[in-house]
Amino acid sequence: MESLFFYLFGGLAVVTTLLTLSSKNPVYSAIWMILSFSATAGLFVLLDAFLIATVEVLVYAGAIMVLFLFVIMMINLRTSEAERLRLSPLAILAALTFLVLFGRAVSDPGPMLGKAPNDLVGDPDVIANLMFTEYVVPFEALSLLLTAAVVGCVVLSRKKVKA
Amino acid sequence: MTLAAAQNSVPLEHWLTLSGVLFTLGLCGVMMRRNVILVLMSVEIMLNAANVALVVFNKYLIANAPEGVALDGQVFVFFTIAVAAAEAAVALVIAMALFRRLDTVNVDDVANLRW
Repeated sequence: MESLFFYLFGGLAVVTTLLTLSSKNPVYSAIWMILSFSATAGLFVLLDAFLIATVEVLVYAGAIMVLFLFVIMMINLRTSEAERLRLSPLAILAALTFLVLFGRAVSDPGPMLGKAPNDLVGDPDVIANLMFTEYVVPFEALSLLLTAAVVGCVVLSRKKVKA
Repeated sequence: MTLAAAQNSVPLEHWLTLSGVLFTLGLCGVMMRRNVILVLMSVEIMLNAANVALVVFNKYLIANAPEGVALDGQVFVFFTIAVAAAEAAVALVIAMALFRRLDTVNVDDVANLRW
Protein backbone atom coordinates (compact mmCIF):
# COMPACT_ATOMS: atom_id res chain seq x y z
CA MET A 1 0.00 0.00 0.00
CA GLU A 2 2.73 2.41 0.98
CA SER A 3 4.78 1.41 -2.06
CA LEU A 4 1.80 2.01 -4.31
CA PHE A 5 1.46 5.59 -3.06
CA PHE A 6 5.22 6.08 -3.25
CA TYR A 7 5.33 5.17 -6.92
CA LEU A 8 2.15 7.15 -7.60
CA PHE A 9 3.36 10.38 -5.98
CA GLY A 10 6.95 9.88 -7.06
CA GLY A 11 5.99 9.31 -10.68
CA LEU A 12 3.65 12.29 -10.54
CA ALA A 13 6.42 14.48 -9.14
CA VAL A 14 8.90 13.44 -11.83
CA VAL A 15 6.42 13.82 -14.70
CA THR A 16 5.16 17.22 -13.56
CA THR A 17 8.73 18.41 -13.03
CA LEU A 18 9.59 17.34 -16.58
CA LEU A 19 6.54 19.22 -17.86
CA THR A 20 7.60 22.26 -15.83
CA LEU A 21 10.98 22.32 -17.50
CA SER A 22 9.71 21.60 -21.02
CA SER A 23 6.75 23.98 -21.22
CA LYS A 24 7.17 26.87 -23.64
CA ASN A 25 4.80 29.10 -21.73
CA PRO A 26 6.12 30.14 -18.29
CA VAL A 27 2.58 30.25 -16.88
CA TYR A 28 2.13 26.58 -17.72
CA SER A 29 5.48 25.89 -16.11
CA ALA A 30 4.29 27.51 -12.90
CA ILE A 31 1.04 25.54 -12.89
CA TRP A 32 2.87 22.25 -13.45
CA MET A 33 5.25 23.15 -10.66
CA ILE A 34 2.36 23.63 -8.24
CA LEU A 35 1.32 20.06 -9.07
CA SER A 36 4.89 18.89 -8.59
CA PHE A 37 5.06 20.45 -5.12
CA SER A 38 1.68 18.94 -4.23
CA ALA A 39 2.98 15.50 -5.19
CA THR A 40 6.04 16.13 -3.02
CA ALA A 41 3.72 17.01 -0.14
CA GLY A 42 2.11 13.59 -0.63
CA LEU A 43 5.57 12.02 -0.39
CA PHE A 44 6.17 13.85 2.90
CA VAL A 45 2.91 12.43 4.25
CA LEU A 46 4.20 8.95 3.38
CA LEU A 47 7.28 9.73 5.47
CA ASP A 48 5.09 10.74 8.46
CA ALA A 49 6.29 14.35 8.13
CA PHE A 50 2.82 15.82 8.40
CA LEU A 51 3.81 19.34 9.41
CA ILE A 52 6.31 19.57 6.56
CA ALA A 53 3.69 18.35 4.10
CA THR A 54 1.38 21.13 5.27
CA VAL A 55 4.09 23.76 5.04
CA GLU A 56 5.06 22.48 1.60
CA VAL A 57 1.55 23.12 0.33
CA LEU A 58 1.14 26.43 2.15
CA VAL A 59 4.53 27.99 1.46
CA TYR A 60 5.81 26.33 -1.71
CA ALA A 61 2.66 25.54 -3.69
CA GLY A 62 0.85 28.51 -2.21
CA ALA A 63 3.03 31.50 -1.48
CA ILE A 64 6.13 30.99 -3.60
CA MET A 65 4.31 29.86 -6.73
CA VAL A 66 1.78 32.68 -6.47
CA LEU A 67 4.76 35.02 -6.29
CA PHE A 68 6.20 33.42 -9.43
CA LEU A 69 2.88 33.66 -11.28
CA PHE A 70 2.49 37.26 -10.16
CA VAL A 71 5.88 38.22 -11.57
CA ILE A 72 5.36 36.25 -14.79
CA MET A 73 2.10 38.03 -15.44
CA MET A 74 3.42 41.39 -14.33
CA ILE A 75 6.29 41.41 -16.82
CA ASN A 76 3.94 39.81 -19.33
CA LEU A 77 6.23 37.17 -20.73
CA ARG A 78 5.34 36.06 -24.20
CA THR A 79 5.68 32.44 -25.11
CA SER A 80 9.40 32.15 -25.36
CA GLU A 81 9.71 30.46 -28.73
CA ALA A 82 12.83 32.50 -29.33
CA GLU A 83 14.42 30.89 -26.31
CA ARG A 84 17.14 28.64 -27.55
CA LEU A 85 17.79 25.62 -25.43
CA ARG A 86 21.41 24.82 -24.93
CA LEU A 87 22.25 21.20 -25.49
CA SER A 88 25.89 21.51 -24.76
CA PRO A 89 28.53 19.54 -22.90
CA LEU A 90 26.66 20.78 -19.83
CA ALA A 91 24.03 18.15 -20.53
CA ILE A 92 26.72 15.52 -20.19
CA LEU A 93 27.63 17.05 -16.85
CA ALA A 94 24.00 16.71 -15.77
CA ALA A 95 23.90 13.08 -16.82
CA LEU A 96 27.13 12.44 -14.92
CA THR A 97 25.67 14.09 -11.82
CA PHE A 98 22.68 11.84 -12.02
CA LEU A 99 24.83 8.76 -12.48
CA VAL A 100 26.93 9.65 -9.43
CA LEU A 101 23.86 10.34 -7.28
CA PHE A 102 22.17 7.18 -8.52
CA GLY A 103 25.26 5.10 -7.95
CA ARG A 104 25.66 6.39 -4.40
CA ALA A 105 22.00 5.79 -3.66
CA VAL A 106 21.80 2.27 -5.01
CA SER A 107 25.23 0.77 -4.51
CA ASP A 108 26.33 2.12 -1.17
CA PRO A 109 23.69 3.22 1.32
CA GLY A 110 26.25 2.29 3.96
CA PRO A 111 25.02 1.42 7.42
CA MET A 112 21.44 2.20 6.48
CA LEU A 113 21.14 -0.70 4.07
CA GLY A 114 18.08 -2.76 4.78
CA LYS A 115 17.24 -0.86 7.92
CA ALA A 116 13.58 -0.46 8.71
CA PRO A 117 12.30 3.10 8.92
CA ASN A 118 11.56 4.42 12.37
CA ASP A 119 8.05 5.41 13.33
CA LEU A 120 8.78 8.93 14.48
CA VAL A 121 5.96 11.26 13.49
CA GLY A 122 6.63 14.88 12.59
CA ASP A 123 4.21 16.36 15.07
CA PRO A 124 4.14 20.15 15.31
CA ASP A 125 4.77 20.14 19.06
CA VAL A 126 7.88 17.95 18.77
CA ILE A 127 9.32 20.06 15.96
CA ALA A 128 8.48 23.32 17.74
CA ASN A 129 10.17 22.05 20.90
CA LEU A 130 13.31 21.24 18.95
CA MET A 131 13.21 24.54 17.10
CA PHE A 132 12.94 26.69 20.21
CA THR A 133 15.47 24.83 22.32
CA GLU A 134 18.30 23.20 20.40
CA TYR A 135 17.94 25.27 17.22
CA VAL A 136 17.00 28.62 18.71
CA VAL A 137 20.14 30.41 17.44
CA PRO A 138 19.65 29.36 13.79
CA PHE A 139 16.01 30.26 14.22
CA GLU A 140 16.86 33.81 15.27
CA ALA A 141 19.43 34.06 12.48
CA LEU A 142 16.68 33.05 10.09
CA SER A 143 14.49 35.90 11.30
CA LEU A 144 17.37 38.27 10.57
CA LEU A 145 17.71 36.77 7.08
CA LEU A 146 14.01 37.24 6.38
CA THR A 147 14.18 40.85 7.56
CA ALA A 148 17.15 41.44 5.28
CA ALA A 149 15.23 39.89 2.39
CA VAL A 150 12.24 42.16 3.00
CA VAL A 151 14.45 45.25 3.13
CA GLY A 152 16.31 44.08 0.03
CA CYS A 153 13.08 43.62 -1.90
CA VAL A 154 11.92 47.12 -0.99
CA VAL A 155 15.22 48.68 -2.00
CA LEU A 156 15.47 46.76 -5.26
CA SER A 157 11.93 47.51 -6.35
CA ARG A 158 12.23 51.30 -6.11
CA LYS A 159 11.65 53.09 -9.37
CA LYS A 160 14.89 55.00 -9.72
CA VAL A 161 18.03 54.22 -7.80
CA LYS A 162 20.21 57.30 -7.44
CA ALA A 163 23.72 56.41 -8.48
CA MET B 1 7.35 -1.04 13.79
CA THR B 2 6.34 -4.60 13.05
CA LEU B 3 8.32 -6.83 10.74
CA ALA B 4 5.53 -6.93 8.17
CA ALA B 5 5.39 -3.15 8.09
CA ALA B 6 9.17 -2.99 7.64
CA GLN B 7 9.01 -5.38 4.72
CA ASN B 8 6.18 -3.44 3.11
CA SER B 9 7.94 -0.12 3.34
CA VAL B 10 9.69 1.46 0.39
CA PRO B 11 13.45 0.74 0.33
CA LEU B 12 15.81 3.59 1.05
CA GLU B 13 17.42 3.25 -2.37
CA HIS B 14 14.17 4.06 -4.12
CA TRP B 15 13.67 7.22 -2.07
CA LEU B 16 17.20 8.38 -2.75
CA THR B 17 16.86 7.62 -6.45
CA LEU B 18 13.70 9.71 -6.62
CA SER B 19 15.48 12.55 -4.88
CA GLY B 20 18.41 12.22 -7.29
CA VAL B 21 16.12 12.24 -10.31
CA LEU B 22 14.38 15.42 -9.13
CA PHE B 23 17.70 17.09 -8.36
CA THR B 24 19.10 16.21 -11.78
CA LEU B 25 15.98 17.53 -13.49
CA GLY B 26 16.43 20.81 -11.66
CA LEU B 27 20.10 20.91 -12.66
CA CYS B 28 19.20 20.32 -16.32
CA GLY B 29 16.67 23.14 -16.05
CA VAL B 30 19.25 25.57 -14.68
CA MET B 31 21.69 24.77 -17.46
CA MET B 32 19.33 24.48 -20.41
CA ARG B 33 16.58 27.04 -19.90
CA ARG B 34 17.53 30.63 -20.70
CA ASN B 35 14.54 32.35 -19.15
CA VAL B 36 15.52 33.75 -15.77
CA ILE B 37 12.15 32.84 -14.23
CA LEU B 38 12.54 29.23 -15.35
CA VAL B 39 16.09 29.14 -14.01
CA LEU B 40 14.77 30.26 -10.62
CA MET B 41 12.07 27.59 -10.71
CA SER B 42 14.73 24.98 -11.43
CA VAL B 43 16.69 26.13 -8.39
CA GLU B 44 13.54 25.67 -6.31
CA ILE B 45 13.17 22.15 -7.73
CA MET B 46 16.72 21.33 -6.65
CA LEU B 47 16.09 22.67 -3.14
CA ASN B 48 12.94 20.61 -2.96
CA ALA B 49 14.79 17.44 -3.97
CA ALA B 50 17.27 18.09 -1.19
CA ASN B 51 14.35 18.49 1.24
CA VAL B 52 13.05 15.07 0.24
CA ALA B 53 16.47 13.55 0.90
CA LEU B 54 16.67 15.24 4.32
CA VAL B 55 13.31 13.87 5.45
CA VAL B 56 14.13 10.41 4.06
CA PHE B 57 17.41 10.26 5.97
CA ASN B 58 15.64 11.42 9.10
CA LYS B 59 13.23 8.54 8.63
CA TYR B 60 15.76 5.81 7.85
CA LEU B 61 18.95 6.84 9.61
CA ILE B 62 17.70 7.42 13.14
CA ALA B 63 16.81 4.36 15.16
CA ASN B 64 13.53 4.12 16.93
CA ALA B 65 14.41 6.13 20.00
CA PRO B 66 12.03 5.57 22.88
CA GLU B 67 11.82 9.28 23.67
CA GLY B 68 11.06 9.90 20.02
CA VAL B 69 12.29 13.46 19.62
CA ALA B 70 14.96 12.90 16.98
CA LEU B 71 13.44 15.03 14.26
CA ASP B 72 16.45 17.19 13.45
CA GLY B 73 16.17 16.45 9.73
CA GLN B 74 12.67 17.86 9.61
CA VAL B 75 13.79 21.02 11.44
CA PHE B 76 16.47 21.44 8.76
CA VAL B 77 13.77 21.19 6.11
CA PHE B 78 11.98 24.11 7.77
CA PHE B 79 15.10 26.22 7.60
CA THR B 80 15.56 25.25 3.96
CA ILE B 81 12.00 26.23 3.11
CA ALA B 82 12.37 29.60 4.82
CA VAL B 83 15.66 30.32 3.05
CA ALA B 84 14.12 29.25 -0.27
CA ALA B 85 11.23 31.65 0.26
CA ALA B 86 13.57 34.54 1.00
CA GLU B 87 15.74 33.66 -1.99
CA ALA B 88 12.75 33.44 -4.32
CA ALA B 89 11.44 36.82 -3.22
CA VAL B 90 14.75 38.63 -3.68
CA ALA B 91 15.54 36.86 -6.97
CA LEU B 92 12.13 37.68 -8.43
CA VAL B 93 12.56 41.33 -7.54
CA ILE B 94 15.94 41.24 -9.28
CA ALA B 95 14.29 39.67 -12.34
CA MET B 96 11.71 42.45 -12.37
CA ALA B 97 14.39 45.14 -12.08
CA LEU B 98 16.25 43.42 -14.91
CA PHE B 99 13.16 43.47 -17.08
CA ARG B 100 12.46 47.13 -16.31
CA ARG B 101 15.99 48.28 -17.11
CA LEU B 102 17.10 46.01 -19.94
CA ASP B 103 13.74 44.78 -21.23
CA THR B 104 14.83 41.15 -21.27
CA VAL B 105 14.60 38.08 -19.08
CA ASN B 106 17.04 36.03 -21.10
CA VAL B 107 20.13 35.26 -19.06
CA ASP B 108 22.31 35.16 -22.19
CA ASP B 109 21.58 38.86 -22.78
CA VAL B 110 22.87 39.80 -19.34
CA ALA B 111 26.43 38.59 -19.46
CA ASN B 112 28.34 41.81 -18.75
CA LEU B 113 30.03 40.42 -15.67
CA ARG B 114 30.97 37.16 -17.31
CA TRP B 115 34.71 36.67 -17.79
